[in-house]
Amino acid sequence: MSGTELNGGGQAEAVAKAGPAGGASFLKGVAFDQQMIVLLLFAAIFLAFSLLLPGFFTVGNLLTLMRTVSVLGILGLGMAVVVIGRGIDLSMIASLAVPSAVVLMLASKDYGIATSLLCGVSLAVAIGVLNGFLVAYAEIPSLFTTLAVGIGIAGIGQSGLFEYEIVPWPAQLAAISWIGQGSLLGIPYSVLAFIAAAIIVGIFMRKTRLGAFIYASGDNPNAARIAGIPVRPILMLQYIIAGLVAMFAGLVLSASSSSMDTRIFNLTWIYDVILVVVLGGIGLSGGRGGVINVIIGTLLIGTIVNGMTIMNVSFEMQNLIKGVVLLAALSIDSIVNPRNEETAQQGDI
Amino acid sequence: MSNTLTKLRYRYWPDHVFGELLQKQWMETAVPLLVLLLTIAFFSSRIDNFISVANLSDTLRQASELGFVVLGMSLVLIVGGIDLSVASVFALCNLTALYCINVLGLPTPAVIALTLLLGAVLGAVNGVLIGYMRMRAFLTTMVTLIVYKAIHDLLNFQLAVAISSVVPDVPAWDFLGNGDFLSIPTVVWVFAIVAIASHIFLTRLRPGWYVMAIGGNRRSAYNIGLPVNRVVAMSYMASGVFAATSAIFYASRLASPGADTGKGLEITVLTAAILGGIRLGGGKGSVTKAVLGTLIILIITNGLLRLATPAGAARLILATILLLAATLDIRWFKNRHKAVQELYVSPSYLELPQSPPTGASSPFALNDRLRAVEQIGLGEVESPEDVILDREDNLYCGSRHGEIIRFFAPDYKRMEVYARIGGQPLGMAFDAGGTLFVCVGGMGLYRVNPDRTVEKVTDETNRSLLSVVDDSRLRLADDLDIAPDGRIFFSEATIRYEMHEWPTDSLEGRGNGRIICYDPRSGKTHTVLRHLIFPNGVVLASDKESIIFAESWNCSIKRHWFAGAKEGTTETVIASLPGYPDNINVSSDGNYWLALMGMRSPAFDLAMRKPAFRRRMSKRLPGDEWLAPNINTGCIVKFNEKGEILDALWDLGGLNHPMITSMREHKGYLYIGGISNNRIGRIKLEGADPEFVSSGRYNV
Amino acid sequence: MIGLKKIGMAVAMAATVLTGGIAHAQNSMSDPARAGYYDNLKGKRVVFVPVFMGLDLTEGWSKMMSRQADKLGYKYEVRNSNFNTAAGAQTITSLITEKPDVIVVQNPDVQSYAKLLAKAEKAGIHVIQLNMKTNVLTTGFVGADVEELGELQAKEVVAHCGSGTSGKVLVLAGPPSSPFSAYMLKGYENILNKSPEVKVVSVQSTGDYESAKAKSITQVVLQQHPDLCGVLGVWDNTDVGTAAAVKEAGKSGQVFVSSSGGGGELACKGIEEGMWQHYVSYDVPGQARDLNNLILAALQDKNPVGTTKTILYTPLVIYNKDNIKNQFCWTLDTIR
Repeated sequence: MSGTELNGGGQAEAVAKAGPAGGASFLKGVAFDQQMIVLLLFAAIFLAFSLLLPGFFTVGNLLTLMRTVSVLGILGLGMAVVVIGRGIDLSMIASLAVPSAVVLMLASKDYGIATSLLCGVSLAVAIGVLNGFLVAYAEIPSLFTTLAVGIGIAGIGQSGLFEYEIVPWPAQLAAISWIGQGSLLGIPYSVLAFIAAAIIVGIFMRKTRLGAFIYASGDNPNAARIAGIPVRPILMLQYIIAGLVAMFAGLVLSASSSSMDTRIFNLTWIYDVILVVVLGGIGLSGGRGGVINVIIGTLLIGTIVNGMTIMNVSFEMQNLIKGVVLLAALSIDSIVNPRNEETAQQGDI
Repeated sequence: MSNTLTKLRYRYWPDHVFGELLQKQWMETAVPLLVLLLTIAFFSSRIDNFISVANLSDTLRQASELGFVVLGMSLVLIVGGIDLSVASVFALCNLTALYCINVLGLPTPAVIALTLLLGAVLGAVNGVLIGYMRMRAFLTTMVTLIVYKAIHDLLNFQLAVAISSVVPDVPAWDFLGNGDFLSIPTVVWVFAIVAIASHIFLTRLRPGWYVMAIGGNRRSAYNIGLPVNRVVAMSYMASGVFAATSAIFYASRLASPGADTGKGLEITVLTAAILGGIRLGGGKGSVTKAVLGTLIILIITNGLLRLATPAGAARLILATILLLAATLDIRWFKNRHKAVQELYVSPSYLELPQSPPTGASSPFALNDRLRAVEQIGLGEVESPEDVILDREDNLYCGSRHGEIIRFFAPDYKRMEVYARIGGQPLGMAFDAGGTLFVCVGGMGLYRVNPDRTVEKVTDETNRSLLSVVDDSRLRLADDLDIAPDGRIFFSEATIRYEMHEWPTDSLEGRGNGRIICYDPRSGKTHTVLRHLIFPNGVVLASDKESIIFAESWNCSIKRHWFAGAKEGTTETVIASLPGYPDNINVSSDGNYWLALMGMRSPAFDLAMRKPAFRRRMSKRLPGDEWLAPNINTGCIVKFNEKGEILDALWDLGGLNHPMITSMREHKGYLYIGGISNNRIGRIKLEGADPEFVSSGRYNV
Repeated sequence: MIGLKKIGMAVAMAATVLTGGIAHAQNSMSDPARAGYYDNLKGKRVVFVPVFMGLDLTEGWSKMMSRQADKLGYKYEVRNSNFNTAAGAQTITSLITEKPDVIVVQNPDVQSYAKLLAKAEKAGIHVIQLNMKTNVLTTGFVGADVEELGELQAKEVVAHCGSGTSGKVLVLAGPPSSPFSAYMLKGYENILNKSPEVKVVSVQSTGDYESAKAKSITQVVLQQHPDLCGVLGVWDNTDVGTAAAVKEAGKSGQVFVSSSGGGGELACKGIEEGMWQHYVSYDVPGQARDLNNLILAALQDKNPVGTTKTILYTPLVIYNKDNIKNQFCWTLDTIR
């Protein structure tokens, strides 16, 4: 995830430019980087479960698996945009819960779907702007900014905006409840939502100028600034995208479970989101990786959780096993692609 | 009238203190301290008894518990990492401590030892992964957070019932969490001791410096051979031990094996550290900051709870305070040095007497006598501020490269490096034994023994009580002379600036300099005179009980008695010179040679009476556009102890030796040095004593 | 347990007599107890320390406590620990120095506050525990007998998933260390262990009563066991997720879901919309009434704190399709 590996996120062109990238390569032409490690790990676990667990490798279960992690995956996409821009957004859970709960609340009071959605979107954008402004202009580290903003947004959610902290999915929104419920050609809509979000984010990051700017400013903000990229507005854009993606995930989640539990902010979900992103090979130091990494990370987590639920492993044991697997993935990467003092970036945690 | 006011204002209003205060390292802590005071003020105005003994003791008890974890986190942050796993380490240690005391019934010391050991082991896992395997701190500790938490939950599920069903009666154990010593909670005592020890560790001990160095620049630390991996690993281990310490007190106080023990602790702790001003990314932070941050976060959360603020509003307020405090601190951190730059230079009012005329009828009458100067070592020396000759007639001078150069008699064509000092040698003096004493800019007073070994004589003096700037270190030792009893009197031109910043000191025109005495009998150094305006040349007067010294920007010569009937008094010898006096040395006829390094100009003299103008200039213009005194052309004058000018030597066209900072009479010749010259000058003195040797006169 | 219930009822009756027993006197005459009663209550202070606010249970209790306080002129305030046990402990610690007359506390678990609550009682503050109790008994406890709750739910599920069905049952639980969840599991076990025909296919924790988690667990289990017969849900708010999973799988009506909760509007809505077929209510308005009575008793208690210790288990009410028309499902607006 550091300078040694230049080819995160299917960046074939980066590999081509860098030639045989740094780090040990077992297989000729295949960089044995974290993305690869996680992919192999995923394949191994998937294969093991398929062979050993009756009922795992069925279409139905695989769709269930995808459905379980689709919201996590969508959140991961938003987080990926920020992480690629060398930031982190801990307020995503708050901006998942509150704007979508606002939509549900307004809709239940007969404000109409469009108005409700518009209000929710405005709130999500406002959160993104606030985050972006504080990071870009006040220059507070993103870790701290988004932490504090997240607390604040959760506070707004608790200030009597909603009657209860669990906001039910109102009948007025029945017209759009399909985004979390039901399925198309047997594929649940929530999975389709994840796929759609992945495609949109992927095209945005890879094919548009703004996406390229985000990579550039994440890779080396100073160079990007010198090159004339408006680094600060680009930073704000990242957080706005993250806010919007989070709200979308919130709508899918609340449609799916027929309610929005705003207490979700209290949970440690955000760590899962970061894991999905970073495990897939998107470096926290920015500028590396892409949508494919999020998908790989999501699939790994989803497979582990699904398999263990089938095996009726307890919640705590699931967490333990999940953690150990993740630790193993990180260790293998560190052994195969050792970082040294020359490649490590200062202040890169 | 307004002139008087200006004088009074600049005499008594301590302009210079603000810049000096701002420059202090501990001013980095100003914002957290301010935030702390504001929060205390706010909550004590809203809540009755907020500052009562009982409440204070409660707050401190909790602050100390939290403080341990913050200290650990700070250490890890300073070394350039982050430790999110503290929350789970805390929870696991809490559970272990409770299991050991409640279920196993171990004695208290064993419980403490076991829990600390567990903390160390859990921390060491992070340490090995991050320090030795070079994994990323954020991710790794996040995963260990999850793993440790899962282990805690699994164990808690099985042990909680057993723990809950016993209420042990162990006074020593209860004393930890609930006890008081001298009516201050035990935990506060322990925390105070640990915090002070950590402070000493970070600021005074070698391993602490390693931590700071690695955090500051890991690559450099590695390249100079610091054990980077080990230090990083140890920091994580320490963080684990700190979390365990906190858990012990928590366990003793609440005896709670709750499922969500430590939940969100990592966030609270991180928040405290950042609020205190400890930076993510390493190298910046201190124990004081950690403690301040802890107190701020605890007072805010406690205060909001006591105000019975609704949860939503409480979170909003907390978020707002966090963001405001962080913004303030970051702005402060980024702009402090700019503020220092603007505020540090603080010109004062300096009214110089009328400059004496230099016309044909005056004693300063211009001439071209220095045009005949012979040049020694042209192009081979740089910056010979002072020159001196030994009894064998060899010539010595300093150089910009931090060396003392010796030219061999009789023709001074051959030269060698006599000694390497390391800093720019300024004034020099031989004692009777042939030891050369040298004032070295930025280093202090040194001596070169006859066997050419270089030794430090002194680089510090007594700290004055009211000075904000640490004036115990010598910044610009300038010139010296040796009294018959061996005492060395030397001048320190300024305590506020480094040597290369002398033009800025001239712009201030304040008494920033002093005369210092080193006594070889006691080995002690003490300050003799303070508040002198750039004291420069120093020479022992003929009565051997006083020194005559020059104040450069004051354009005056003064005399100070250090012994005899007039001991302790100071008199002005020459109140006004037409230029800036530099070194003074004796002449063979019992008078004194004085170098004027540059001549006054009416514009600069006027500026010295306009401090506001100079301040504006220093704030608005870049440094290289500021006014500076002329030191391009000067002269040598001879004066007597009554202050009369007896002779003047000039090089009007500036062809041969225009810039003069020192001169030394030796066997009928005058040897001339200049700090911006690339040569030494020599001129034959008509009628001078051909046997006169200036060095080591008195202390034979 | 019955004995305890009787004591509780006696206390409740005593309080009722005190508050309103004199209303029917025919001739005008001042009640000698009346003035003292009101004066005594003036300026007293009751503090509620819930684990959370913003959910029907706590909002309901709090509303009724606050209403009685307003009526009788004592002070009532809420110190929300917002799902943070450490914050709750901090609150109680500072309350011990503030010395209110009564602390009403909802415990996050069986042990966390135990030591502090004992300390508070020692300092002369009445402590009334609400719905989740610690292993330290204080002035009072009001709440459901969770074991009984579990037994009621399990009995119904066993009855439904007997012979002729697959007998497969999914058990959803709360946080593993929460006594509420643990006692409930005990209640399930009491019944399920005696019912060999029922097969528990999975026991999973929904974390902190997360409905999303309940949904994904149910989905996975339904995938593995399409013939799932019953679900023992943990709480109505959580089981919204369970029901959504059942509905999405197209198994509405085939899977028997039993849930429980405070009997708020969600309970009725759930039965009516077929989210769950069986619901055990611990009747928040009833609990709040018990609570108010205990508060009044404590405020009037002249004995040293801790002399009397009262437990009031809430009578449980079963809601199902057949009786739902006659059930009262409260909302914050209708609660009295």
